[in-house]
Amino acid sequence: MGCRCPRLPAGPLVLLLAWLLEPGAVSAVSEAAMGTASPDPGSSGTLQPPSGTPLEETRLHVFTLDYPHVQIPFEITLWILLASLAKIGFHLYYKLPSIVPESCLLILVGLLLGGIIFGAEEKSPPAMKSDVFFLYLLPPIVLDAGYFMPTRLFFENFGTIFWYAVVGTLWNSIGIGLSLFGICQIEIFGLTDITLLQSLLFGSLISAVDPVAVLAVFENIHVNEQLYILVFGESLLNDAITVVLYNLFKTFCQMRTIETIDVFAGIAKFFVVGIGGVLIGIFLGFVAAFTTRFTHKIRVIEPLFVFLYSYLSYITAEMFHLSGIMAITACAMTMNKYVEENVSQKSYTTIKYFMKMLSSVSETLIFIFMGVSTVGKNHEWNWAFVSFTLLFCLIWRALGVFVLTQIINVFRTIPLTFKDQFIIAYGGLRGAICFSLVFLLPVAVIPRKKLFITATIVVIFFTVFIQGITIRPLVEFLDVKRSNKKQPAVGEEIYNRFFDHVKTGIEDVCGHWGHNFWKDKFKKFDNKFLRRLLIRENQPKSSIVSLYKKLEIKHAIEMAESGMISTVPSSASLNDYLEDKVMPLSPAEMDNMREILTKNLYQIRHRTMSYNRHSLAADASEKQAKEILIRRRHSLRESVKKTRSLSRDRLAVTKATRFLSLPKDAKLPEKLRIRNKTSFRVGGADSSDSELELPTTVLNLKPRARKILQDQSQQQPQQQFRMEWRNEVNGDHDGRVDRRVMDNEAQASRGFRQPLLSRPRFGTVSEENLTEDVRSTRPKPPPRIVRWASEAERHKNTSQNQPY
Amino acid sequence: MSVTLEQIEHLHRRFKQISGDQPTIRKESFDRIPDLEFNPIRSKIVRAFFDKRNLRQAPDGLADEINFEDFLTIMSYFRPIEMNMDEEQLDHFRKEKLKCETSQETPAQGSPVFEGGLHRHPAPPALSLIPYICILFHMYDSDNDGKITLQEYRKVVEELLSRNPHLEKESARSIADGAMMEAASICVGQMEPDQVYEGITFEDFLKMWQGIDIDTKMHVRFLNMEPIAHCH
Repeated sequence: MGCRCPRLPAGPLVLLLAWLLEPGAVSAVSEAAMGTASPDPGSSGTLQPPSGTPLEETRLHVFTLDYPHVQIPFEITLWILLASLAKIGFHLYYKLPSIVPESCLLILVGLLLGGIIFGAEEKSPPAMKSDVFFLYLLPPIVLDAGYFMPTRLFFENFGTIFWYAVVGTLWNSIGIGLSLFGICQIEIFGLTDITLLQSLLFGSLISAVDPVAVLAVFENIHVNEQLYILVFGESLLNDAITVVLYNLFKTFCQMRTIETIDVFAGIAKFFVVGIGGVLIGIFLGFVAAFTTRFTHKIRVIEPLFVFLYSYLSYITAEMFHLSGIMAITACAMTMNKYVEENVSQKSYTTIKYFMKMLSSVSETLIFIFMGVSTVGKNHEWNWAFVSFTLLFCLIWRALGVFVLTQIINVFRTIPLTFKDQFIIAYGGLRGAICFSLVFLLPVAVIPRKKLFITATIVVIFFTVFIQGITIRPLVEFLDVKRSNKKQPAVGEEIYNRFFDHVKTGIEDVCGHWGHNFWKDKFKKFDNKFLRRLLIRENQPKSSIVSLYKKLEIKHAIEMAESGMISTVPSSASLNDYLEDKVMPLSPAEMDNMREILTKNLYQIRHRTMSYNRHSLAADASEKQAKEILIRRRHSLRESVKKTRSLSRDRLAVTKATRFLSLPKDAKLPEKLRIRNKTSFRVGGADSSDSELELPTTVLNLKPRARKILQDQSQQQPQQQFRMEWRNEVNGDHDGRVDRRVMDNEAQASRGFRQPLLSRPRFGTVSEENLTEDVRSTRPKPPPRIVRWASEAERHKNTSQNQPY
Repeated sequence: MSVTLEQIEHLHRRFKQISGDQPTIRKESFDRIPDLEFNPIRSKIVRAFFDKRNLRQAPDGLADEINFEDFLTIMSYFRPIEMNMDEEQLDHFRKEKLKCETSQETPAQGSPVFEGGLHRHPAPPALSLIPYICILFHMYDSDNDGKITLQEYRKVVEELLSRNPHLEKESARSIADGAMMEAASICVGQMEPDQVYEGITFEDFLKMWQGIDIDTKMHVRFLNMEPIAHCH
């Protein structure tokens, strides 16, 4: 069979490469390539086999090519590659993504490809198979959405979301179906053969708001979170009702007679489908959480469980014809919290990245395929039907949102404004779900499937293109409240928690069992049973603490990425101020070091991207905000320190030598320093005492440090300090810490300072630092480098044990 | 007061349950609410009811006991927002805002932070939310000096985390410190090296709210309250 091998490979490969490079000038190549790829052996002459030596059958083949062997994975890989490359392409021009949503561009690329294939093969390009879409492409997106769903917001708005998803979808389906049926009765349009059930079926599939399209558009316009969750939550939840309605009407279409019992069965089925899906999801979510409880020995496969269980929930639900989307969403939301605490930090990051990557790839593929599948011969154009479908979609959506909001506003604590309603209505984007559903229609039952396909595609393109592109200017024009997505702040978390408690407390006081009451009850139950069962190291954790830790971990990771990996288990955290006792350097030294650091580190750090929840691209403004925040932190530290520990005149004295008072423009190193500081504590390492154990290889600043130390201590008048410290003694002074610090101090001083300074002076310095440490503010630790230096010093000293 | 008659009746029933049919409520009366026992910031909530600032009686101090009217006053802080407020109500809110600001500004006179703070104009959250923020501010600002100092902030965080036995005081502190730094970074723009951030003033407090979707998070619902008063 050697001879068939070399003929095949070039076709698709050349074609794809040509598409990638120069879509315009491709037809000749592609025709040639397609010719070779065709099964007819006679046409193989047009292209020379690139390489390969056809030998006798019995002989050993030195080089063989067996394209059919790899065809499917090969083509899939190429498609994904193409999709990803296209995505890169859009972001080359930075303004483009902010004007046109990525989904539009991807569809355009798909259309182009479809056109090429169509032109080359003279037949319809392969349509996206509905199975592929529902079984492989959709789950990752929904999983990602569910896993990163802002749970709290979702449940706070659950009633409204549910209302829109269920009643709204029903309303749209029936409204569109009925009014289309009305239009079809007008003979002049030539649509009289469409029955009521058919138009209802069409109505049910066309009314499904698509989570993929919604996500793609709304992620970039940053409306306020509540609005976002309403639109997005609706698009997720309406899956259940869409699936049910679609199947219901499809079955009805196939049935000869419909009895009342069938209608009721349909209604019952809705509950079964929705609730069943959710139950499967929740169950598997708990199983997943429980599984990760035991994975601490095999960390590598930890992330896998998350994906396996959630996918399992999806396909199990699909198996029973339940709502897979609901199942996977429920699964992801259930496991999220517990898994996060069980898995290691690395696994967690892996899960996050992998999930984002998968969903991003599937999203890209979906849109490209949608474009590709559009081109072809399966269309039937009817002006009346298409334009009325579009019109009714818009009208019923707007009406539905308006009417339903009037009703739900009565029950909402925060009513939705008119602007909100407009955006919700306008955000009803249709997408790949409609598209796949319409391709799934059985031709036998629906003779005018092609017309439906055309109408669906027009609606999808209209919503994705026109609405998708205009929604951003509209949001700006209407001045809809935006979300100020910023750095998650510890302060904010504290406030939120504070409110929760206040609200629960007030509800308790007035004896009202509201939302907060139930939330509180669930939390107690969660703490009592669920967490104990599902989490390995069960520690009731506070969201404040975990957020704080997360932030610190984030800093640590960024720092590590920036190449600043230090083996120092840093005394990073804010409450560890042992660093203060390290001797400062003169400004000149600092400048020196700063320069070194700037050159070596700053650039690198800037190049590394930080993780972003919504997309993997680095967001410049967010990054800036973070830097500002870090800088502020630093300056606050300084000021706090000054208020508490320094009087004005002393400030003047120390300014020259203390690094606290670095010139204002000393920004870069400060940043780095702070970054370091806030970093490593989290990992659970008890860093407070571990200061001494680290090797450092940084800079040998020994002689300088010594000199400065001497200078400094000579400059500082002893008397003044004493008084100040005494004044500031306050109540929450922890004796234990005090002792520890003192020990540490003593140790340190034995190692380093003693030989250097005369006794009394040293005492002063030591006390200054010590008091500072213990006093509650613990203001501003000095730069890490300084500490390194001194530590290096210390090590050296202890090992050599020689006086100077 | 935009509390309806029905709600007042309900609250009155509740008031009597808490007070044990007495005309006033004392601090101990709150022990009768079993659910409140587990609230980590119970003392702050209870204190809020007796805080004269919240009762709009005096700029300072704690009341020993409160009557029903006071109880209503406190409760009215938490009422849901009225979307279509008429002018009169808006006026009312404006006055409340003034009250709130003055009540905590008085002791803070001459504070350098305030002088510097005039030129930045925070767009405050919706006017109607001011009273709510006001009462929260008072909960934080326990010594009533118009500023939430680091000490006060720490105390709050410690209380919040007090239900967690595994957590050391230290970490609560560091969290408070971190939050305070954030506050400083939000409220005071670029800080001069020797500038001092003494504490969160009410203005700063309001400013922080801009970042938080306050109106979606606040407010206890009194509407369609069911009379499930649970007092064991």
